[in-house]
Amino acid sequence: MRAELGTLGWVFRREFGARFDSASALTVTIVFALVAHGLFFFLGHPVGDLQLPSLWAGRVASLQVVFAWLPLLFVGLIPALTMGAWADERSSGTDELLFTWPLSSRASVLGKFFAVWAFLGLVLAIAILPLGMMTASLGNLDWGTVFGGFIGAFFLAGACISLSLFLSALFKEQLSAFLSSALLLGLLWSAGLLVHVLPPGLADAVNYASPYAHFFDSAARGVFDLRDLIYHVSLMVAGLWCNALVVEGRRWA
Amino acid sequence: MMEMIHVQGLEKHYGDLQALRGVSFDVSRGEIVGFLGPNGAGKSTTMKILTGFLVPDGGTCEVAGKQVLPGDPGSRSTVGYLPESTPLYRDMRVDRYLDFVAGLHGQERAERRASVGRVIDACRLGRHAGRRIGWLSKGFRQRVGLAQALIGDPDVLILDEPTSGLDPREVVRMRDLILELGQEKTVLLSTHILSEVEATCSRVIVIAGGQLVADATPQEIARSRAAEMTVVLRVPDKDLADFDAGAIGRDFAHVPGVARLVSAQDCGGGTARLVLDVNRAPGSVATSGEPVAELVADTLAKRGWKLSELTWQGDSFEAAFLDITNPEHLEKRARAHREAVAKANAPVAPVAQASEEQSEVETT
Repeated sequence: MRAELGTLGWVFRREFGARFDSASALTVTIVFALVAHGLFFFLGHPVGDLQLPSLWAGRVASLQVVFAWLPLLFVGLIPALTMGAWADERSSGTDELLFTWPLSSRASVLGKFFAVWAFLGLVLAIAILPLGMMTASLGNLDWGTVFGGFIGAFFLAGACISLSLFLSALFKEQLSAFLSSALLLGLLWSAGLLVHVLPPGLADAVNYASPYAHFFDSAARGVFDLRDLIYHVSLMVAGLWCNALVVEGRRWA
Repeated sequence: MMEMIHVQGLEKHYGDLQALRGVSFDVSRGEIVGFLGPNGAGKSTTMKILTGFLVPDGGTCEVAGKQVLPGDPGSRSTVGYLPESTPLYRDMRVDRYLDFVAGLHGQERAERRASVGRVIDACRLGRHAGRRIGWLSKGFRQRVGLAQALIGDPDVLILDEPTSGLDPREVVRMRDLILELGQEKTVLLSTHILSEVEATCSRVIVIAGGQLVADATPQEIARSRAAEMTVVLRVPDKDLADFDAGAIGRDFAHVPGVARLVSAQDCGGGTARLVLDVNRAPGSVATSGEPVAELVADTLAKRGWKLSELTWQGDSFEAAFLDITNPEHLEKRARAHREAVAKANAPVAPVAQASEEQSEVETT
């Protein structure tokens, strides 16, 4: 177990470090922060059930607008961060060495997952903290709801990352991994819009299955709900388990 | 001598394609063994199975006394592997990459530092240790690939075409490095450069069409090939008038070392030319204890013919390799294998019924 944790740590270090060895990490962070700032200050959130004005229009000291946008931003951001995780290993052939070194598939899957999750947490913090500090300087910001929203968004991101990594493991080309992942996350996001046109029973089922519903109804409004965290963790475990099955199953190819 | 690699009856399918058909071989401690075969022969598949990257459909393999099992990462720590395309994380620095590999082998800080230093020295990478792998030339990347294979100080090295794409100078360097490593480790080396095999390997395993077709020293393989011997003779005119290839062929049928008479031709001017398929070099000793060339000369002398010229095309490792991996030979072997498998899998008839059938045959 200790040895497995050790190898997991090394995969984490390699994957997390690799994000900073190219300009893409900086680009992703800057673009994400700029978009979040623009939406927060100027557009608000005019989509779906949770409609909110921008900071300048509403003049309310709250980061709810940013949290409400995060699920849609994740549809583009998370596939961009995960697309290369496995697809690149396959196309460059480095998986052949990775799976002949003395480490388990589980350790490599978890190492990659935690590296992307930690990096996304960092990007979120870099984008959200300045917004929080600016808003707090303008009015009375409730840091508790900000923290609740951040934790909720972080766990939602974890669930989305595990699904995207699983899809990345299915493809050899990064573009295919990106498109399939963006499509899946986009469908899950749009499920929240479809509930209005579906029959009530089906709408409830779709709403319950969508990871975004477990964010919009709680963390995005600043409410911390343990059941939602359990839901996201369950989804993470399922995604990671499928991911490990795919990479381990390749030995039997 | 202890067997460091033991492969028994390996079978592997990729969909409908059977990549390996019951491959078995052993490699002992301290041997450098060349693993040869044409493209698509099953070499890389065998190597991937030995390193635990692929799981065979049938058969077993042991490396350094440990069975290679998919769920046991520890069983992979005794093997150092350099894949064919040398896949490396090109965004990493050489020293950090090697440190990462050492970490995956469970080494602590001091041990990591020592083993990274050791492999950097062994592969002569000192001046490039701080450089990004993607910036290195192909030759140095190949050395980094070899360095990562050596990190855990494995007993067995599996190198899949380590000199592929290198310039001649780098090929020589890599060959020297492999010879140096072979003094302490068991090396299974796949390559298409046959001269490299003759220079470095004490033994050669040849695989083709997913089957083992030869397992011997390069010299034995070279000698094993049926080669062509051309004999020019001085023949009396009376014999030339009645030159009978069939009768000459019968003369050679019982000569040890001669497989058959290919052609007999009257060249005019009192000379004739015979072409013989022979199993051994002319100077080598046939089973009778006499050199093959002398046996041929004796056979001709019995007819009163004088040998004036004897030429030989053979005793070449390359020619022997081409011969044993010839598609016709492979098809024959594959057919034999299919028949053997079908026979082994055929349902055994009940004893009573079998004896009934036998009695029917006897009656008829």
